[in-house]
Amino acid sequence: MRKKNIFLICIFIMVFPSGCNDRQELEQQSYVVAIGVDKAEEEDKYDFTYQIANPEVGSSSSQGGTNEPPSEIVTITGNDVLTATYTANAFVSKKITLDHTKVIIVSEELARDENFLRVLQAAARTPQIRRGVELIVSKEKAREFIQLNKPVTETRPHKYFLSILNRVTRSGLSPNSELHRFFQITEGDADLFLSTYASAIPSEEGEGNEDEYLAGQIPKLGGSPTQFMGAAVFKEGIMIDTLNGHETRLVNILDPTMDIENFITTFKDPIEPKFRVSIGYSQDKDPNISITYNKDKPSLIEVTVDFKAEVIAIPSLVDYSQNPDYQKRLINQIISELEEQTNKLIEKSQKEYGTDPFYWSLFVRKHFLDVKAYEKADWNKVIYPNAKIKVRYNLQNLEFGKMLNDTSLEEVRD
Amino acid sequence: MLNNGSLKTREIVAILSLFLGMKLADSTPSLLAQKSQNGFWLVPILSFFILLPSFLLIMYLLKKYKDKNLIELMEAILGKWFGKALGLLFFTFVFLSLSLDSRNYVEQIKILYFPESPTKVIFFIFIGIAFFGAKKGIEVIGYTSWIAFPLIKFSVTLVFLLIFGKIIIQRIFPIFGSGIDILMLEGLQKASIFSEIFIILIAYTATKETKKFRHGVYLGSIFAFLEIILFYFIYTTVFDYNSIQKVAFPFHDITQYIQFGEFFTNIETIFMVFWLFAAYLRFIIFLYLITMIFGAIFEIKKFEPLLLPFSFLSIMIGLLPLNSISNELFLRETLFMIMSPFLILLPVLLWIVALSKGELRS
Repeated sequence: MRKKNIFLICIFIMVFPSGCNDRQELEQQSYVVAIGVDKAEEEDKYDFTYQIANPEVGSSSSQGGTNEPPSEIVTITGNDVLTATYTANAFVSKKITLDHTKVIIVSEELARDENFLRVLQAAARTPQIRRGVELIVSKEKAREFIQLNKPVTETRPHKYFLSILNRVTRSGLSPNSELHRFFQITEGDADLFLSTYASAIPSEEGEGNEDEYLAGQIPKLGGSPTQFMGAAVFKEGIMIDTLNGHETRLVNILDPTMDIENFITTFKDPIEPKFRVSIGYSQDKDPNISITYNKDKPSLIEVTVDFKAEVIAIPSLVDYSQNPDYQKRLINQIISELEEQTNKLIEKSQKEYGTDPFYWSLFVRKHFLDVKAYEKADWNKVIYPNAKIKVRYNLQNLEFGKMLNDTSLEEVRD
Repeated sequence: MLNNGSLKTREIVAILSLFLGMKLADSTPSLLAQKSQNGFWLVPILSFFILLPSFLLIMYLLKKYKDKNLIELMEAILGKWFGKALGLLFFTFVFLSLSLDSRNYVEQIKILYFPESPTKVIFFIFIGIAFFGAKKGIEVIGYTSWIAFPLIKFSVTLVFLLIFGKIIIQRIFPIFGSGIDILMLEGLQKASIFSEIFIILIAYTATKETKKFRHGVYLGSIFAFLEIILFYFIYTTVFDYNSIQKVAFPFHDITQYIQFGEFFTNIETIFMVFWLFAAYLRFIIFLYLITMIFGAIFEIKKFEPLLLPFSFLSIMIGLLPLNSISNELFLRETLFMIMSPFLILLPVLLWIVALSKGELRS
């Protein structure tokens, strides 16, 4: 009996400590929040920039406040994301862990390079990097972007990226650019992938209405220098162009796999053209896309978008709410403006890009029985560029907010 | 021990649905997707219906011959020696699939959760625990499965709910994936992904009345079948047809991807616990049933001491393949392909012989 007990104790001693093989103390790890990737001077090498969160900042345990910065930023030249973390350990004191990475930032220079897919593939292979990580293309070098990005109030980097990306995708200014989506679209080899476009260096101020900017061009004063606006367009894993915020919004409206909630934008005032009317756009339903596939002649793509609008501000003070005729003209103006812009975007994608950023290839698939036939029909070279596309916007209701009518300017100044 | 079994229908359902249903969360889907692309979720449907006649046939025979388990049935119909020889062949198949499967599970645990621990250590601990579980006997296995069943299924349902928003239904088109001919062939060749429903027949006499066992097996296999189809459907719709081929462990990829709202990210460890629990149970059941088959062939009434050598042997065989990819994509696939015709034809052979001997008339 005693022998048996000793034997059992020995077994337990052998078995249980083996669980400690993979132990990692929280104290001994550095959590990377953002990874920046740039081309290095040497060919086939890349500069990896890691933004490592400092857990002490902003936590309740350090109410006295520390003087340490909220994050540490290091740059290392290396082959792939994971190998470089080990080199970085020469001067980062803890084990670098990528489990909590929120974003991968890629410089536009690298994104336009044909080797871009290699770097990203290597990153996706690492079990630590999740499919939910967002891909961001920065106009400048990713290293500079991370260094210059100094959020004013949300100083903790993970919180910052979480909230800003959430906000820009909800309002449609930037697309949802998860790594998962990137790989599904790139490997599917039919559509264009859109990635969030950002910049921390203000460039020449752009002109146009409230959303017709690219990151860096927004005229603004104060706040964080970083701007997230518009999208980088990827074809077959290589960046080919950028879309401004307005075009990105249209793509988000037309792509049923994107979640767009609502946003406020302006349309030309149909009665007094020098003013613009502010409209809150909201969309409860995904757009309806029906594709009639014709083998020998151009296919027909019909898209119907049901949306709701709410008049937010009428600077011209025209009485839209109670004059049915004016109302009709306003509705027509909204719809025709949307349709015109959409058609322009579609034409650009058909002629310039050769394929669509709307992920519409999903809807032609049901016309084929197997992948071979589908790939032979060739969405991005034959079907889409030659298709006849009709987009119809359908205004379901028009609300006027909480005011029945605006004060007439003449009455006030009387 | 065998003759005074006391399991109930619900325990058989739990055992079978854990034993077979675990296939939704290992690397079987990526094995199937290699050739059939996004049509791979249809393969188990085809396989199930290809295997169904044979399965019903053997259930019919078991009912006719009363109170005999699978091996005893084979001996009764085919004669002692031929029956034993076929039984031994069956045992070899099952044992090989245990070894390869266990390696596969160990690799998943290692790659995803314990990257720094040596494979051998994980293997020994994994099978070691399965051994201790199996040692407790079929009743305990049955109760444990029944208790664990709701918990495990709840976690699976949670995964389903959380991934629901990421599903894009249109991805199932083109409906036949890489082609209907390939799907049919795959369905036939991989029919043995449902081999578990045959393996469990060795425990035919483990319930009080065999009627309960039959009900349990029918219910359990239908449940596991639906569950597998549902999850393969999710994999097809979450991953596109070119991507699904590249994903080695779709279930874990999904648990890494989902988040509980915006604040609770990286929640895969919660699911890992339930997954591990299910995996242990699966191997406890597997190990126990295999030893039972061996015991039945060699007429060893007290077969439980054999659990230890078999556990050890399965570790040794499981450690042989160089890496998990060659294990999964080559060895396991080959095993499936050899086992499928065996499982399809065995019941037919038994039935023909029994019919010609005139034993079915009474």
